[in-house]
Amino acid sequence: MKRRKLLVALSIFIILQGVIFGLLGRGKAPGPKMRVIHIKARKYSYDPPIIRVNRGDEITLTLESEDVTHGFYIEGYDIDAKVRPETPHFWLRHPSKGDDYETVEEIRFVADKNGKFRYRCSITCGTFHPFMQGELVVEPNYAYPVSIGLVLGLAIACVVYFKSKKD
Amino acid sequence: MVDLFEKIPFLKKIVKLRAFQFAVIFPNFFLFYLFLIAALVGTPVGNRNIMIVFVWIFWWVMLIAFMVPFASRIWCTVCPLPIIGEWLQRRTLVKVREGSTIPGFKQEFFGLNKQWPKRWRNIWLQNIGFLLLACFSAHLVTRPIFSVFVLGGMIVLSTILALIYRFRAFCMYICPVSGFLGLYAMTSKLALRRKDKAVCDVHKGRECFLGSERSYPCSWFQNICTMDRNNYCGLCMECVKSCPDNNVGLFWRPFCSDVDIKGIDEAWKSFIMLCLAFVYSVNLLGPWGVLKDWANFTETGQWPGFILLALGIILLCMVIFPATYYLFIKWSKALSRSKNVTTKDLFIKYSYAFVPLGLLVWIAFSVPLIMINGSYIIAVISDPLGWGWNIFGTTHFPWKPLLPEWVPYIQIPLLLMGLFYSIKSLYKIGMKIFSEKEATVRSLIPMAILLSLITIVFLRLYVG
Ligand code: SF4
Ligand code: SF4
Ligand SMILES: [Cu+2]
Repeated sequence: MKRRKLLVALSIFIILQGVIFGLLGRGKAPGPKMRVIHIKARKYSYDPPIIRVNRGDEITLTLESEDVTHGFYIEGYDIDAKVRPETPHFWLRHPSKGDDYETVEEIRFVADKNGKFRYRCSITCGTFHPFMQGELVVEPNYAYPVSIGLVLGLAIACVVYFKSKKD
Repeated sequence: MVDLFEKIPFLKKIVKLRAFQFAVIFPNFFLFYLFLIAALVGTPVGNRNIMIVFVWIFWWVMLIAFMVPFASRIWCTVCPLPIIGEWLQRRTLVKVREGSTIPGFKQEFFGLNKQWPKRWRNIWLQNIGFLLLACFSAHLVTRPIFSVFVLGGMIVLSTILALIYRFRAFCMYICPVSGFLGLYAMTSKLALRRKDKAVCDVHKGRECFLGSERSYPCSWFQNICTMDRNNYCGLCMECVKSCPDNNVGLFWRPFCSDVDIKGIDEAWKSFIMLCLAFVYSVNLLGPWGVLKDWANFTETGQWPGFILLALGIILLCMVIFPATYYLFIKWSKALSRSKNVTTKDLFIKYSYAFVPLGLLVWIAFSVPLIMINGSYIIAVISDPLGWGWNIFGTTHFPWKPLLPEWVPYIQIPLLLMGLFYSIKSLYKIGMKIFSEKEATVRSLIPMAILLSLITIVFLRLYVG
């Protein structure tokens, strides 16, 4: 019975750590901003490699390729583009809405989902193509501080549990 | 612990068949050679060639996420790589040839049947070979031809070694896959063991080790009567056939039941594997182009960068990480205030800390491989060579990541699970060493800190 109570208490403790770290790591939320970001694609990476924005920001992306045709697929945002070298415009589609591309000069979207999303090349461009990716981090990225809290909570809980265990 | 042989008598019947091993290896063997040919003649574009897609996406994920945790070294049961050598040694595919080639053994063996040199009866060669290979892994997983060299090289080497040394010297001491399969198989739910010690104690025939007229000896130099870990049992099922007393069981047990790391070579294997998971997470799954250019040096020509990267990898695995761990072990030993154990012993025993966590980090690493690139499998089975065939009509199946935005949320619980099992196992190990709870718990604190830090590093890469 006592064991049971301890386990419940420790579980609550672990979750609490997650919540506390989540709240602490949240940072202060500035108002939504407009952001214009130019992304250069080359074999096999994007520049900038990491984009950090805040939730609610209005993002305008322009793409450029320095060598061959590359794709630009953002996880979770239903965006998939195609960009050719020496071409000022590029092509965009929303995979959930069909396979056809439309010609565009920029991609506009609102960063309305928090978290870490990779943008990846979606068009086979060479040997390392499957590893061509960058990171779009939409803050507050709760998952990170929450999971750190859970890790620390879990480690402490384990030690406490073993300490109170009967030999 | 459940004995699956008792639960499912049919299973036991099958594995006792002489033809069992051949029957499971042959289809695999056949497919594997098709893949080798595909890699040779098919497209050099990795993600369009069945070799790369099947081996490095499908096989790898199956191996690390399913076979190892749930079925130990079952891969070795069906592995096509060393089997030509074994067939040559026995000069038979199925039946047993009786003879007296090697003193004490009742079978006939072809080849020189030498004993493996004593000083290499450990996994250092595997550690070093694996680490060197790992420096080139970016090529291995993207270039079909490179995969042919490595896998083909393994076949050739295993065959040559089989003709010189007895049994599976290659598997035991050389195969680069073997070291981590063995290490991580310690966590596995499945284990082949003798059932009743008393039965072994009174039975002096030792057929399980020596073989009999209806079975071969253990090719893995294991003695099932005393074997207490999964590490070096290739699950060939030969001892099940040998044992006249039906004393071998296939047990389904809790995760992480084997916890004894027995040597400094095994400890280093655990460091190497964990560090490599970090290296690949940064290099292959990270956003940094420079590192990719270095790893991809044959295309970019960035040799100096590659050498720097390779040296960095080797230094991290062989020196930096072990040295950091050593400091934590010193701290751990100091806190324990115990004289039961030397620092070196504790260093070896507690290195199990990186086994459950390491395995789960690798599984977490593999989640995006299958979820992002799994759709290549569907396309490539219709066009295995990348020649524009369309066997099943799926060639044009588009690259379609499966719920990619969920990947981090799958990785988090996996990492937490690894952390949990690592700390839990350390407690078990600590209790054996210190045989006292207070000292164990105190010695656990530095380790819990180190493990948490490592987990956070991976969280930073995957989630942060
Ligand atoms: S040790 Fe290596 S070569 Fe031997 S059976 Fe296992 S995977 Fe195959
Ligand atoms: S212990 Fe048995 S199953 Fe394992 S490798 Fe040896 S003979 Fe095969
Ligand atoms: Cu690309």
